[in-house]
Amino acid sequence: MLLALGLNLVIGFTGLLDLGFMAFYAIGAYTAALLAIHRVPFVACVAAAVAASTLIRVIVGFPALRLRGDYLAIVTLGFGEMVRLTLSNWDSLTNGPKGLPRVGESIPPASLLGFTLSTNLHYYYLIFACVLGAIWVCTRLDQSRLGRAWVAIREDEVAAELMGVEVTKQKVVAFGLSAMFAGLAGAIFAHWEGFVTPESFTFWESCLLVCAVVLGGMGNIMGVVLGALCIVLVPEILRDILGSTFANARYLLFGLSLILMTIYRPQGIWPSRRRTLELGPEEPGESSSRDTLFDAEQK
Amino acid sequence: MSFLEALSVSKVFGGIAALDGVDLSIKEGEILGLIGPNGAGKTTFFNVLTGLYRPDKGEILFKDQRIDGLPPHEIAALGIARTFQNIRLFTNMTAMENVMVARHSRTESEFFGTIFMTRSFRREEQEIQKSARALLDRVGILDRGNALAKNLPYGDQRKLEIARALALDPKLLLLDEPTAGMNASESAELMRLVEKILKQGVSILLIEHQMRVVMNLCHRVVVLDYGEKIADAAPAEVQKNSAVIEAYLGTSTHA
Repeated sequence: MLLALGLNLVIGFTGLLDLGFMAFYAIGAYTAALLAIHRVPFVACVAAAVAASTLIRVIVGFPALRLRGDYLAIVTLGFGEMVRLTLSNWDSLTNGPKGLPRVGESIPPASLLGFTLSTNLHYYYLIFACVLGAIWVCTRLDQSRLGRAWVAIREDEVAAELMGVEVTKQKVVAFGLSAMFAGLAGAIFAHWEGFVTPESFTFWESCLLVCAVVLGGMGNIMGVVLGALCIVLVPEILRDILGSTFANARYLLFGLSLILMTIYRPQGIWPSRRRTLELGPEEPGESSSRDTLFDAEQK
Repeated sequence: MSFLEALSVSKVFGGIAALDGVDLSIKEGEILGLIGPNGAGKTTFFNVLTGLYRPDKGEILFKDQRIDGLPPHEIAALGIARTFQNIRLFTNMTAMENVMVARHSRTESEFFGTIFMTRSFRREEQEIQKSARALLDRVGILDRGNALAKNLPYGDQRKLEIARALALDPKLLLLDEPTAGMNASESAELMRLVEKILKQGVSILLIEHQMRVVMNLCHRVVVLDYGEKIADAAPAEVQKNSAVIEAYLGTSTHA
């Protein structure tokens, strides 16, 4: 869910289609894992993971963000695969496809302010707090100068530039911020699972994330939270009902639901609404109605 | 000191000279009309001025500073704002937000102020909203402030574009056919608005096809034809200029 919120900054607000978001989750997770093996405290691991994924994201972002639309999608997709392949082949650092930690090493449980997170419930609270924090950050951004600039870039890049928005800089900022979310999520994941392999960060996972954002409603924070819940919970629930055959068919079902969504409800389950602002003493009661058909966000 | 000075500006697209050595100057407080047949290079000239295109030759000085080659957002921040011939609003944002976006270069809140809602962030946000309301009021569409831009009627979209451009606090406003597709009373209303903006000290460069608007409003008129400047004079003189008549109506001498 953290990941979906981070990705929403990029796809939902700024309108940049990113198909390799998992790469930065992976970078975060591996950074944290490598440091934790050497008994680096949890907080420092998280900080390093966030810093590493953000830094790499910004470095990749500068050349990549000159591309538009589909081309950017291809580059991000390629970068996602590059990271995964690097992780599975750089044996000396990442132990290849066998994952980290190696035999005889371990990732110690995370401890925060002297309190050791040992059960799933503890991690649940930690993740819950992070998601709340992320929602707060996103909401603030949505209603600020930066968020407005991002949406303007999504709507019309040229017009935004001519209205004084530094388009390239703002894209890199949005790109970097989203990687902070991914790095944070990756670090928590590594400590929680106690084990990371390249298999956790495949292209399919990136796809599912995009699904979560699109399904929930691009640009709408609560919509994206809802979308992420659907993507995670629906298979779990259906697995109990339908048995294991379903697990094999879930990508098929997701694909189908996405196609149906794009045809019948392209704005997502919970579409984004622009904020209504006070217009002065004589409140006109003019409410913004949203068309069912929109096309700009698809571009 | 010159306000805006374009010196022999040329722009070539694949062998065709869209602009061919155009000299043009605008004085402070002036409203200059830019006319010419379709394809004469008027909009190209706007695009060069605002930094969307880099001129192949020539230079552009704004208040004695070279601006050709600067990125568009820097030129916008220096005080040159424009509207578009085919309206380019942020369609899925409200009218208010469209104007608020254009306050971007006049404000400075960054990430941390935003997240922690510092006092300066909140004050700035208040100011952005206040000035956006004032601007919508100025062009007369305040009551539609919360409507999505794409749901506004055509005439209001044109006005919103002007309000958005004014949000940059421009010294020079470039209007690209603001009355296109408007009926007589709508364009008369728009002319009054343009006059009001001019009185408030904003210089204006106006591309316009309706001659009545140009002749009534402009202090001076520049005529382009095939990327070349063929006239630069007061409206009444331009009307009598034979080169201009020829450009618009074709040659009448047959033999």
